Amino acid sequence: MSEERLWKFRKPEWMNSATARSAGVYGAGALFSLAFFTLLDAAVWSHSSRNGSNIHINFIDWLPLIFSSLGMLIINSIEKTRLSADSFSYSGSGVAWKARVVLFLGFASLAGGMAGGVTVLVLKYVVPQAPWPTVYMGIANVVSNGLVMLSSVVLWISQNMEDEYSYNLAL
Amino acid sequence: MTAGLKTIISLSFVLAIGFLLVILSCALFHQYLPLLVVATYVLAPLPNWICGRCANPDDFVESSGNAVVDFGRFCTGFLVLMGVALPVLLAHSAIIRWDACVMSIIGGGLIYGTIIAFSMFFEEEQEF
Repeated sequence: MSEERLWKFRKPEWMNSATARSAGVYGAGALFSLAFFTLLDAAVWSHSSRNGSNIHINFIDWLPLIFSSLGMLIINSIEKTRLSADSFSYSGSGVAWKARVVLFLGFASLAGGMAGGVTVLVLKYVVPQAPWPTVYMGIANVVSNGLVMLSSVVLWISQNMEDEYSYNLAL
Repeated sequence: MTAGLKTIISLSFVLAIGFLLVILSCALFHQYLPLLVVATYVLAPLPNWICGRCANPDDFVESSGNAVVDFGRFCTGFLVLMGVALPVLLAHSAIIRWDACVMSIIGGGLIYGTIIAFSMFFEEEQEF
């Protein structure tokens, strides 16, 4: 395993412990919750008495988050060990390719969600030159998509950690 | 034995204080939405518990067992943060006041801490 290492720096030892792995999964859930509630906060705020403008949050604002969450679901549903399967290994023909294609769709959906968030911010809030408390709704959109991305990164890392951990135990 | 009894009594006191804070944050301002925090924190350990029963985490041959456990942990993390985010959301949109928000967060934290401490207590008993 150590001969197949690609990077100069090795992973720190504490990252392979079971505690760090479960903490990563909990943290990913918390980050996703934070993302969802950031956008929900903007939606509730837009229909409350605090919002003095005519701009309200409707389905368009939710669309980037839906795409990001879909991408996160796809990325983290893939079996990670199938990715590194070579074409000549036991895993059969084309499993690695299928995994890579589905993973590409997932990443595209995640990046599309982020781009959609920025698009909504620009087209709906910056171009009509909305004042500060109204722009918050657009910024919350971008922040929530970024948090979904961060959450999927944390979940990905902690799931890879799990593989190393079980490998060490299997030896 | 007496130590366990002391733990139970102090935990129930903490639970009562938590419920008092949450109910006070609702009743003082005649806005009963912060009660959702209690429901969130009661539901929070549930996915972890169910998925822990569904899968055997020591089974390394079948890696799908670990995925179910991870899903339960993800849902628990979601619900725990929801208990903090919900009062902040309500206060930010001027549905409840900020002091009600702080009271319900502290009360929810006490309730959840009680639940966690209780489950740890029982797990320790099961090992012997």
